[in-house]
Amino acid sequence: MSGPRNAEERLKRLLVMLPWLMEVGEVPLSEVAARFEMTGAQVQQDLELVAMCGLPPFVDEMIDVFVDDGVVFVGVPRLFTRPLRLTAPEAFSLVTSARAAMELPGADMSGPLGRGLAKLAAALADVGLDAGSTHDTSGVAIDLARPRFTDELADAVAAGAEVRIRYYTPARDETSERTVVPRHVFAEAGNWYVRADDDRSGQRRTFRIDRIEQLEPTGVLHPVDEGDPAEAPDGFFVDADVPRAVLRLGPQAMWVTDQYPVDAVHPVRNRPGWTEVTLPVSSDRWLAKLVIRLGAQAELVAPVDVRDTIARLVQSMLENYRAGDT
Amino acid sequence: MVDRVERLTNLLALLLETAEPLSLVQIAGELEGQYADTERAQRAAFERDKAALRDIGVPIETEVVAGGPYAGQTRYRIDRRAYELADLELDADEVRALQVAVAAVRTGSSASKEAIWKLGGALGSARPAVSAVIPERPELPTIRAAVAAKSTIGFAYRGERRTVDPWGLLLRGGFWYVIGHDHDRGERRTFRVDRFEGDAGDIVVGPPESFDRPASFDPRTAFPADPKEIGHRPDADPDAIVQVDAVRAAAVEGELGADRVVERLPDGAIRVRVPASNRPAFRSWVLGLLDHAVVLEPADARDEMVAWLEGAQ
Repeated sequence: MSGPRNAEERLKRLLVMLPWLMEVGEVPLSEVAARFEMTGAQVQQDLELVAMCGLPPFVDEMIDVFVDDGVVFVGVPRLFTRPLRLTAPEAFSLVTSARAAMELPGADMSGPLGRGLAKLAAALADVGLDAGSTHDTSGVAIDLARPRFTDELADAVAAGAEVRIRYYTPARDETSERTVVPRHVFAEAGNWYVRADDDRSGQRRTFRIDRIEQLEPTGVLHPVDEGDPAEAPDGFFVDADVPRAVLRLGPQAMWVTDQYPVDAVHPVRNRPGWTEVTLPVSSDRWLAKLVIRLGAQAELVAPVDVRDTIARLVQSMLENYRAGDT
Repeated sequence: MVDRVERLTNLLALLLETAEPLSLVQIAGELEGQYADTERAQRAAFERDKAALRDIGVPIETEVVAGGPYAGQTRYRIDRRAYELADLELDADEVRALQVAVAAVRTGSSASKEAIWKLGGALGSARPAVSAVIPERPELPTIRAAVAAKSTIGFAYRGERRTVDPWGLLLRGGFWYVIGHDHDRGERRTFRVDRFEGDAGDIVVGPPESFDRPASFDPRTAFPADPKEIGHRPDADPDAIVQVDAVRAAAVEGELGADRVVERLPDGAIRVRVPASNRPAFRSWVLGLLDHAVVLEPADARDEMVAWLEGAQ
C-alpha cells in the first residue's frame, strides 16, 4: 500500500492485525508488513500509535506493543483479541469469490471450499442475510461456462505439460499449428484465455481458448519456473498502440459500447439516437466483420480504406448465396 | 491535535468497555483534549467518527434516556456481540481453500481480502494456475444486500423508474444481471447492472422480507446463456440449417456440439442445426462467420440474410 492512508483504513488494518499479533506473539516486522500489504515503516508507525491508546479506568491494560530490532512484540488487552465481525460487503464479496472459484476447473463442491462456503452462508443466514446454500444457487450465481479444452489446459499448467494446438486467428482468418506450454488459465469479460509460452514467436502469448480447434499433449514437460510467474495480464484488452476506428452507431447498435472498449462517445448532430464512437481495432478484418454485423445501424467514418475490405467481403458472401441457389 | 486513528481507537475502546451507555459530554470528558471544545465542533467530529466506525463494521448503538434529569439525552455504546466475529468454526483447510479462492478471483474490490484477514488467513504470494476476473460494480453491494434481505428496489433504467423484487443476481458473459419481478410490467424481467442509471446511491431499497422468491427460481436458468436460444421453443420452432466451410467447421462444431451437425460434406464443410427464432442474434452469429457460412433454410431466413448483405453494400 502506498500514498496517503486515511484513518478508517489504518484503524481497520490495525483491528485485524492486533488479534493476529496477539496469537503469534513475536514476529519480524517485515513479515507483518508483507502479510498486511504495508511498508515496515507504516506498521511501526501505527503500532507505536496504538501503544499510546487505552484509557484507565475503562481499560485495565494499555495496549502493550513495541518494536525492537525489527521484531514486533505485542501483548494486546482483552479488548482487541478478537477480530471485527465481517461486514455485509466483506461477507458477500467472500461468498462471491468462493462461488466464482467453484466455477473454475478442478473445483470440488464437496471439498474444503464447498464446506467453508456452506459455513459462511450459514453465518450470514444467522444475521438475517440469505446468501443461498452451497448447492442451491438462489441469490447470487456466477456462470463462467468454459469452452472445451479449458480443463485440459488447466491440467497442462499444473503439470508444465507442452501441448500442440490448432489455433484460429480471426485477424488473418487462418488457422495455425503451434506448440505451446500453458502457464496460466483465466476468465475475463466473458471469455477464457490461456497464457502460454509460444514456440513460434518465442514469447509468452495470450490465446482465447474458444479459438483453439484442436489440442494434443506432446508428452514433453517444461516444469514451471518459480521466478517467472505467469498471471493474467492487467488490462491487455486495450492496447495504446492499437489503431483506432471511428464509427457512427444507430440506436440498435449501442451494444457495441457495452461489449468493446471505446475511447470516446459523442452524439451525432441532427441525428437523434445516433452516436459517434472511437474504438481500438485489432485488425481491418475484425472491423469489417463488426460493420457487416451492424448493417444499416452503422457507418464507418474512418479509416476509409477498410470500406474496400467490407465491400469485398460482402461481395464474397453474396456470391456464396448465389452459388448455393440450386 | 491528536491523530485521528488514536482518537478512533480510544473511542472504540471506551465504548466497548463501558458498562453503561455514555453521552457525548461524558465521551468528550473521558477522551480529554481529543475532541474540540465547542459543542458544535465536538458533535460534528463525533458524527464523523461514528460514521467511520460504522463503515469498518462497528455499529454504535444509540439510546435516548427515558426519564430523570437526563431525559431526552442520547447515549452511545457498542454491543460486543455485534462487534466481534462470530466463530465460523472454519477448519484450517477451509480457510486455506477460501484464501485460494480469493487469490484466484480478482474482483476489483479489497473486501474479500479483508474478510480473509479477519478469518486469520493471508493471501501471500501463492500463484494459482487458474484465475478469474469478476467485474465489480458500485451498485453490487446494495443489490446483493437487497437480494439477500428480500427488499424491493427502485432504480432508473433506460430513462424510466423501475420497481423490482430482486430474486437473484447472475454474472454471465462478463456482465452482472439482476433478475426479478418488475412491478410495473407485472412479470419477470432481467436488467443489466451496468445499465442502471445514476449513482449507486440512487437505488431505493425497501424494507426487508417484502417478497418471496419462487422456490424453483434459479438465476442460471432464468435466461439462456446463448442469445440465439432466447425465445426459442425447441419443440415448436424449426431450426435453421447453416453450412459452414472447412475453415471454420471445427470451431463451429466445437461451439455447438457434434449433435448439431446434420451432414458432413466431402470437402470438409458441415451443415449444422441452429436455433433461429431470435433473428437478430441468429443473424449476428452467422455474419460473424463472414464468408465461411451460408444459411440454407428456412427460406425466409436465407432471404433476410441476402437482403441484409445487399443493404450493406
